[in-house]
Amino acid sequence: MKVTRISISLALAGALAGGCSKDASSVPPKLQTERVGAVTDLGGQPPSTHLVSPLPNGDWRLPAGDYANTRFSPLKQLSPDNVSNLRVITTVATGSPHGHEGQPLVVNDTMYIVTPYPNNLIAIDLTKGTGAVKFVYQPHPDPRAQGIACCDVVNRGASYADGKIIYNLLDATTVAVDANTGQEVWRTKVGDIDIGETTTAAVLVVKDKALIGNSGGELGVRGWIVALDVKTGKEVWRGYNTGPDKDVLIGPEFHAFYPKDQAPNQGVTTWPSEQWRLGGSTVWGWISYDPELDLVYYGTGNPGVWNPDLRPGDNKWSCSIIARRPDDGHVVWATQLVAHDKHDYDEIMENILVDMDWKGQPKRKLLLHPGRTGFFYVLDRATGEILAADKYVESTNWASGYDLKTGEAHEDPKKQTHTNRVVEDICPSSTGAKDFTPSAFSPLTGLVYVPAHNTCMNYEGMAANYIAGTPYLGADVKMYPGPGGYQGELIAWDPVRGKKVWGLRDAALPVYSGVLATAGNLVFYGTMEGSFRAVDARNGTILYEFHTGSGIVGNPITYMGPDGKQYVAIYSGVGGWMGAVAQPEISADDPYAGLGVVGAMKDIKKYTGPGDTLYVFGL
Amino acid sequence: MTTRTNNLPKWTLALAVVAAAGCMPRGENAGEGRATVVHNQSVDRAVINQPVGPVPGPGDIAPLANPLGNDPTARMEGYHLFNQFNCAGCHGGRGGGGMGPSLRDTGWLYGSTADRIFNSIAQGRGRGMPSWGARIPEKQIWELTAYIQSMRTDDEPEAPR
Repeated sequence: MKVTRISISLALAGALAGGCSKDASSVPPKLQTERVGAVTDLGGQPPSTHLVSPLPNGDWRLPAGDYANTRFSPLKQLSPDNVSNLRVITTVATGSPHGHEGQPLVVNDTMYIVTPYPNNLIAIDLTKGTGAVKFVYQPHPDPRAQGIACCDVVNRGASYADGKIIYNLLDATTVAVDANTGQEVWRTKVGDIDIGETTTAAVLVVKDKALIGNSGGELGVRGWIVALDVKTGKEVWRGYNTGPDKDVLIGPEFHAFYPKDQAPNQGVTTWPSEQWRLGGSTVWGWISYDPELDLVYYGTGNPGVWNPDLRPGDNKWSCSIIARRPDDGHVVWATQLVAHDKHDYDEIMENILVDMDWKGQPKRKLLLHPGRTGFFYVLDRATGEILAADKYVESTNWASGYDLKTGEAHEDPKKQTHTNRVVEDICPSSTGAKDFTPSAFSPLTGLVYVPAHNTCMNYEGMAANYIAGTPYLGADVKMYPGPGGYQGELIAWDPVRGKKVWGLRDAALPVYSGVLATAGNLVFYGTMEGSFRAVDARNGTILYEFHTGSGIVGNPITYMGPDGKQYVAIYSGVGGWMGAVAQPEISADDPYAGLGVVGAMKDIKKYTGPGDTLYVFGL
Repeated sequence: MTTRTNNLPKWTLALAVVAAAGCMPRGENAGEGRATVVHNQSVDRAVINQPVGPVPGPGDIAPLANPLGNDPTARMEGYHLFNQFNCAGCHGGRGGGGMGPSLRDTGWLYGSTADRIFNSIAQGRGRGMPSWGARIPEKQIWELTAYIQSMRTDDEPEAPR
């Protein structure tokens, strides 16, 4: 096992004082990227930090590399001194020109790629150095699933465990494939596409269980997370996110921090009669695990139906963070971040688990959650208390802030949406101040690197009809770029001080890729027009840039090759909700198309088109 | 196989209810060739006995026009139905696409004539487009067809701005 556990208590003041020697003129003008913020303002010295999960020291076996979703690698061959010498080592075509939202895995000199639908598993022999294919496993999911998935036919990645690659197919099925032979070990149907369920989320394996959530919040499904036995694929437990406590697996161990979240059976009582059965609250993003507290964390999606007037009540447990025991699924705490969602602010984003000094308390157990709402939430992950909720995208206007005593948002009533009323200039749009694309955390800088959007919308509630397996929205939405002349920004956010340290703004398009941070003080990410970038983690200076064949919506990983050299890999293949506008199936002349996203993305066809390529970079 | 006989019951009755779900397919011709429009003109045996080819298909029989004709009320009604039956959720608020393909572009995998659009709605298509023939009355399918065919023309109701 090339895995190491590190506990970092760094005093890196010297290392942090440097940097910022390159100026912005090294950026090609066509990208219209602008660096903003006080670039050296890191407050002297990084916070004392404890990471709870083993880090991916050579391999990359879990979607985020580690359980804690830091997407931080201890590898440091690549550094600000040499990263400008990066070059493309190899490329692999996946054969599916749709959104490549996930990331490959690397296990023992083999790389594993899960393609978008048809969800093939491609194993690459890294000892050959030429992208040589060891095997391709073709699961042949139900083709009808392509028309059920809300936002392109994407897949967010696999986990490696017990000699198997375990991942979801689009048609609500999970498979386990022998990592050496490519033979299918088990195949379990976890949901039903005929009622609108698909499975696009990354699988996280915790101990002997594979954890899987469903997608379909736009089709009136009922959200759940299921645990399958890694050896057999048999279902061990299933926790719903709506409905009675016995279905949600809320029992004696449950204690919500806030009184608003404490009453029994709120998965039923906070909905109109039976609406919880169509109540969304799905789990299509990322799952985290804290081995020390033995808790699994995830966020839930929007409530169904979109139009809030059709579901009076708080609509639990939509837009919530939930902590469960991995062994039996029982809920230990739940905190709803947004009651009665009015804007489709799914909170399925990554939860980064890290212990840091917090306002005089040493090594507080934190959960960092950059929300779709535009607020960066810091929670106590032992209790669910919201310790901070600060705006990280300036245009955010649906709420002015949070009452941390009650856990409730101070919402602007003028930005609340209703039937037959066009509410204008809501920021962020439904796609959020960021979406599913995961941030990275570096214990060297103490910063979270957030791929953010600046997009707003007009929203009109409408009548809605539930027809199984079709969209259940009741909303006419038109999005457009937010104020300030930029639509994307990589934000370096100080979670302790609750402020931005620096940002890299892209004028034309949102930042829709994941982020990787390394012990070499580098941050890697991609732009939606296709540029792969290496950035100085301390100050945001772009140190390396390569224009790939298509927009990047996937997540970079880094690994140690069989030759003992560090490599970085990333998918290039535009797609997903916002990125699918680059694909020919969507017309740019209907701003209401793609659930309203086309209005904000109509220019993307000028910048990029479909792609399907894995790029590997090295020195 | 294209049905070319008028012996079948009227197509709306003949449609099987497939428990499909989702949206208009994006690509291949799964489902193509099962057209069920029955042409009102009588078919003589000479036509039937003609060899098929070189390109398989309906041959020289003129496509069936929309029986509602060029009716602005039908188009407006179709616009409302497009939302009510959740077409908009898949194909975009004004048909520009999303989960299902755009209806505003020039690519028509299953044909762009009124009868072909009618059949795509009524029968469903293989990549997730449900079959609506048993759920939507015939007249309303023609109204949806009228709206879809008006997209990007001066006749389009509630055209996107």
